[in-house]
Amino acid sequence: MKDSLSLLARIPAHPDSRCWFLAWDPSGTLLASCGGDRSIRVWGKEGSGWVCKSVLGEGHQRTIRKVAWSPCGSYLASASFDATTCIWKKSQDEFECVTTLEGHENEVKSVSWAPSGSLLATCSRDKSVWVWEVDEEDEYECVSVLNAHTQDVKHVVWHPNQELLASASYDDTVKLYREEEDDWVCCATLEGHESTVWSLAFDQSGERLASCSDDKTVRIWHQYKPGNEEGMVCSSADPSWKCICTLSGFHTRTIYDVAWCRLTGALATACGDDAIRIFEEEPLSSPQQPTFALTAHMPRAHSQDVNCVAWNPKEPGLLASCSDDGELAFWKYQRPEVC
Amino acid sequence: MVGPAPGGGSPLENANPLIYRRSGERPVTAREEDDELPDSIDDREIFDLIRSINDPEHPLTLEELNVVEQVRVKVNDAESTVVVEFTPTIPHCSMATLIGLSIKVKLIRSLPERFKVDVHITPGTHASEHAVNKQLADKERVAAALENSHLLEVVNQCLSARS
Amino acid sequence: MLQEEEVTHLVLFYENRLKDHHLVIPAVLQGLHALSLCEVLAPGLAVSVLKAIFQEVHVQSLPQLDRHTVYSIITNFMHTREEELKGLGADFTFGFIQVMDGEKDPRNLLVAFQIVCDLILKDYVLGPFVEELFEVTSCYFPIDFTPPPNDPHCIQREDLIVSLRAVLASTPQFAEFLLPLLIEKMDSEMQSAKLDSLQTLGACCTIYGQKELQEFLPSLWSSLRREVFQTASEKVEAEALAALHGLSACLSRSVLSSDTEDLLDSFLSSILQDCRHHLCEPDMKLVWPSAKLLQAAAGASFRAGHRITSSVVPLLLEQYNQHPQSSQRRTILEMLLGFLEVQQKWGHEDEEESALLCSRAPLCSVLFSALTDPSVQLQLVGIRALTVLGTLPGLLAPPDVQLVVDHLTRLVLHADDSQSCVAAMEAAGSLAPIYPGAFSGRMVQRLAEELQSEREEEGRRSMQSLRARCLQALAAVSTHPGIVHETIPVLLQCLRQVPKGNVPARACDVVAVCQSLQQVAVQCQRDTESCWYYHQTVVPCLLAVTVQAAMQENAHSPLGKLLLEEEVLSAMVPVVSAASAHLCPELAAQSVSQLVPLFLDGEVSFLPQDSFPCPFQPFQGGQHVAAQRRLVALLMAFVCSLPRNVLIPQQDRLLQELLALSCSCDCPFTATAAAKCFAGLVNKYPAGQQLDQLLETAVSRMEAGLAEGPLRSQALALLLWVTKGLVLRYHPLSSRLTDKLLGLLGDAELGPAVADGFSLLMADSPDVLHKGCHADVRIMFRQRFFTDSVPKLVQGFHAAGPGVKANYLKGLSHVLNHLPRPVLVTELPTLLSLLLEALSCPDHVVQLSTLSCLQPLLLEAPHVMSLHVDTLVTKFLGLTSSPAMAIRIAALQCVHALTSLPVPVVLPYKPRVIRALAKPLDDMKRLVRKEAVVARGEW
Repeated sequence: MKDSLSLLARIPAHPDSRCWFLAWDPSGTLLASCGGDRSIRVWGKEGSGWVCKSVLGEGHQRTIRKVAWSPCGSYLASASFDATTCIWKKSQDEFECVTTLEGHENEVKSVSWAPSGSLLATCSRDKSVWVWEVDEEDEYECVSVLNAHTQDVKHVVWHPNQELLASASYDDTVKLYREEEDDWVCCATLEGHESTVWSLAFDQSGERLASCSDDKTVRIWHQYKPGNEEGMVCSSADPSWKCICTLSGFHTRTIYDVAWCRLTGALATACGDDAIRIFEEEPLSSPQQPTFALTAHMPRAHSQDVNCVAWNPKEPGLLASCSDDGELAFWKYQRPEVC
Repeated sequence: MVGPAPGGGSPLENANPLIYRRSGERPVTAREEDDELPDSIDDREIFDLIRSINDPEHPLTLEELNVVEQVRVKVNDAESTVVVEFTPTIPHCSMATLIGLSIKVKLIRSLPERFKVDVHITPGTHASEHAVNKQLADKERVAAALENSHLLEVVNQCLSARS
Repeated sequence: MLQEEEVTHLVLFYENRLKDHHLVIPAVLQGLHALSLCEVLAPGLAVSVLKAIFQEVHVQSLPQLDRHTVYSIITNFMHTREEELKGLGADFTFGFIQVMDGEKDPRNLLVAFQIVCDLILKDYVLGPFVEELFEVTSCYFPIDFTPPPNDPHCIQREDLIVSLRAVLASTPQFAEFLLPLLIEKMDSEMQSAKLDSLQTLGACCTIYGQKELQEFLPSLWSSLRREVFQTASEKVEAEALAALHGLSACLSRSVLSSDTEDLLDSFLSSILQDCRHHLCEPDMKLVWPSAKLLQAAAGASFRAGHRITSSVVPLLLEQYNQHPQSSQRRTILEMLLGFLEVQQKWGHEDEEESALLCSRAPLCSVLFSALTDPSVQLQLVGIRALTVLGTLPGLLAPPDVQLVVDHLTRLVLHADDSQSCVAAMEAAGSLAPIYPGAFSGRMVQRLAEELQSEREEEGRRSMQSLRARCLQALAAVSTHPGIVHETIPVLLQCLRQVPKGNVPARACDVVAVCQSLQQVAVQCQRDTESCWYYHQTVVPCLLAVTVQAAMQENAHSPLGKLLLEEEVLSAMVPVVSAASAHLCPELAAQSVSQLVPLFLDGEVSFLPQDSFPCPFQPFQGGQHVAAQRRLVALLMAFVCSLPRNVLIPQQDRLLQELLALSCSCDCPFTATAAAKCFAGLVNKYPAGQQLDQLLETAVSRMEAGLAEGPLRSQALALLLWVTKGLVLRYHPLSSRLTDKLLGLLGDAELGPAVADGFSLLMADSPDVLHKGCHADVRIMFRQRFFTDSVPKLVQGFHAAGPGVKANYLKGLSHVLNHLPRPVLVTELPTLLSLLLEALSCPDHVVQLSTLSCLQPLLLEAPHVMSLHVDTLVTKFLGLTSSPAMAIRIAALQCVHALTSLPVPVVLPYKPRVIRALAKPLDDMKRLVRKEAVVARGEW
């Protein structure tokens, strides 16, 4: 386990503020960061180091909580405490705010693009999840307001290859939504966490979903389609999601983020105890009751809470993380020979 | 995340609370005067940071109202953790979140960044104990609340030195 | 000069013009204004002018300046033609009301309010227009005026408030209109309106009587009570209490006739009814507001005090016994103390009628129980209450007095907590002059026994602390001549025992005895007889024991040597000084005629000890008198403290001896004492040729000493002290000596000591050359020294080599640190760049004194400092990680002070400073963290 995670670079990305979130563009060459200083910074590699390519400063009045790249890599969406979501269009190294989506009553906590690029989801402390449709002229239209949660919605994320949306909330649950006859409906509620669910990540296949929580655990949920081989009962035509593994006892404070590498299958977590941890599925464990082993643990990865971890989509083992201390760090993960 | 601010002539919820005597200034010891010897951060030092916070409703400090007590402050300097329990004056006090927020903000501003600060209600002393604790523990909501200029002003008033 | 007739013509002309077109009115008013100042105005004309104005001019439609002219005309006539105007009767009042009705300009209002005041105070006839006059002024109440920025007229809100208050509170005739208005404004939400109403009510109470108040008392009381019970502002509370005090005083003044109701009694009854029961709930919030209200009312008169005290004190005594918790008891006792203090104010009026007389026994038993309570806080309040009780005549019976003394003695000797012990000593000091017999018979005797007893079993440490307490208590209780006669011998006995070795002694024990002696000396200074007794007893004794010790030096007696240690002699200096500074001239002359021959000629006959092993010759050469020479410090304490008109025998010989000793003695302590003594005498020496010669001799000896040799630092000490003595009295030679010092700043060997010497020049010296020892100290000497020396210091700094630059900065920062702030602020712009440079100087003393110099300037001269904000932020933040804790603290205090600069100046630095302050929050030292928390909180 020793030396399986090594520091490549550390950058004061949002000095005098906290850095909340990171997002790699689909090509893996650009990394966007956002924070309490109301700015978005876009980072790119030059030589052996990382440099700030652009600063997107004028879009929001308050903290920018999350950012998300469109699947084509030409747009960046940003969710802010000022209750708006901005859409930025990229041309070369320049970004221009082309649309501001308004409608949420208060802080927008998360934003996510569907794999097709024609749908966008946002969520807010106003307990709602909004689905937006994008047309060719870059016009955005709200197609659904989902009020399934009873509290603040913390995170939204789309399935990697289906139009299935997942959301995590302060009400301790995860909910899944799909389109049904021109409207969107909640098709599953995942209960089990004992406190706020902060973030979600699908694996490469979309069969599994990881969730992390204030209850200091990560849960792995598995999708069982109707008529599955394992004989798991589904109550309706919708697939059913069951928790097949709980990672507990590893984290000592709130887990703020979880990231599932689409290239290697490694699962990284960002924790309020300042540490980054990486887990891998034990090769010989049963797929229906998998066990995960802690393969890397970096105790003082940052000097304060780690808020986000993000795997590079193209380069296996390249991980970015950011923290309340305003810093952004790049790590190289090497699977240890012997676990 | 917090209800409307006090004032506007609304009647106090608890107009005649019990009052407690303030502890004096911590006497300076010879050891503290010594340039070489380190002084670790102890419970009393944390308590001194929060005892003079003003109650949002009364012209009294949290110490005078017994909302904070030194025995309910636990600090571990080596592990960089601080846990403070506070006791609202009455079980339905609508100011509990605001008081907790003031304590948390004061500690975050005053302690080295390495510290993890947890602020809870003393178990069994408030009707909405769980809800208040959950709000106070959610740093995203605390951060958003402190970007609300009105609320920030109320908190700063609680933290300001009394005239 | 105009003749009376011409004036009359002009007046009539102008009066007629008032009927003309309104465009000419301003000019006409100017003319009338000039005429109103004429002394030769015929009788009747003033009235006719005013009538014409009242009739023809609509004053409020004129511009501000012309309205002001009208007010001036009225004011002028009121000064010179009072009787004529009064002839107009109420018409004049009515006319004026019409003139000022609707006035808006603050400048005019100030004049108009003054006119109304004069109308009332000079008894003009108001007739049926009282209410109108009230209306036309009270409509401005409460004043709500904020002067515009850059107002050239400088009229402040406070000016208007005060002048309107003078009008409203000028006559009881307004009472029926004013009191409802005040009650209404007190009930409003605006704090400024509350404060103004309460203050106006207070002002009214000084002229109102029962009649005016009667109808409104219930509502006034309920408003005042509410303000004290519920207020969030200490200011409002204080004003409400003051107003209540005023009401109670006003009602107390009214003379009672048999058929009228006693309003004071019924008013106090309603206060008691509303407040008394809250006193029974010592845990609740209303207990203190209630006590404060009652005390405010009780403090207004003897009668009010009697009524309230006789109701409340028995209740509190009962409550004390019903509440067993010490925190509750403390609250009750503190309230009791407050009522006793009220009683103290009126206690002397009539002993027989004291409201406390019938509660005497239970009161004493409650207070005694507090003194034996384990809670220190309760003990402390008990001690204070007993002190107050003891000062009230006739309340402590002789057996109670003995008990009080015994309790205090017990606390002095055995209280676990030092606070209780100190409080008991203070109480003994306050009560001893009232009950001298009890204190000398019981406490002094007991303390003396303790000091003499030798108890081994308790361990050395506790015995030493017991001795220290006894010594302090002996000093504290010496507040009566009779007691002083008993304590002084006890203290002196302690000193005499040192060389005999009866008591184990260390230097700090002897120092403690000296400190007690000094305290007694200060307490004796007021009384000539005690002062002389003290001087006559203590000074010869100190000299005898030290002379004896100095002679035994050769016998290597370690016990005697203790008395000659620098620490001990330095502690004796203030004793001798305090014993000598307040002597009357005859007695001083008597004493000086014995002491000077002792040092010059070895004349020991007046010392209480009659045989000495060898002659006393401190000024003779030779190594064997080194110990005797040290006693020059005591000589200095004596001769330098005498009043200036006391002639010192053989002064010139003495001065020559001192000069020689100061330059030639290799012991720094002795040499410095001689230099100080010399400087102290020179400071008082009459100006003239003799002084000049003396100084020439001194300068040439200094120069010789400074030039080379092993005694350069002795010569420097002499130079510094003589310079100080001369700077203080503005002597012309002082600037030559200052230049010499400035030159020496560049001296590689002496430079740092010279730099520190600037602190000596500017600071008050504790033992010589200060006002208390009658030195010639001019009040502006620091400013003068600053003006003379600072340009040279700056010049010297720029010219100096790198090795000695710091000396100049250090010298400068010492000078600046002792300069009065206002002077410093005006001189700041020229010096700031140098101060900023001093912050980068690696010397810690320079850094620290520069920081302490800059900190108040940030608060007082923010605009000058703003220009350098960038440098200041960088340097201060840099110094927050200095290795020295004191510098880190000072730097953080400066960072804190930066927040008083204008907001736009500091705002750009906010993120950087807040980030930088995160580090000192984790400082190793708690005291540093404390400052960092405060500074960061402020940013």
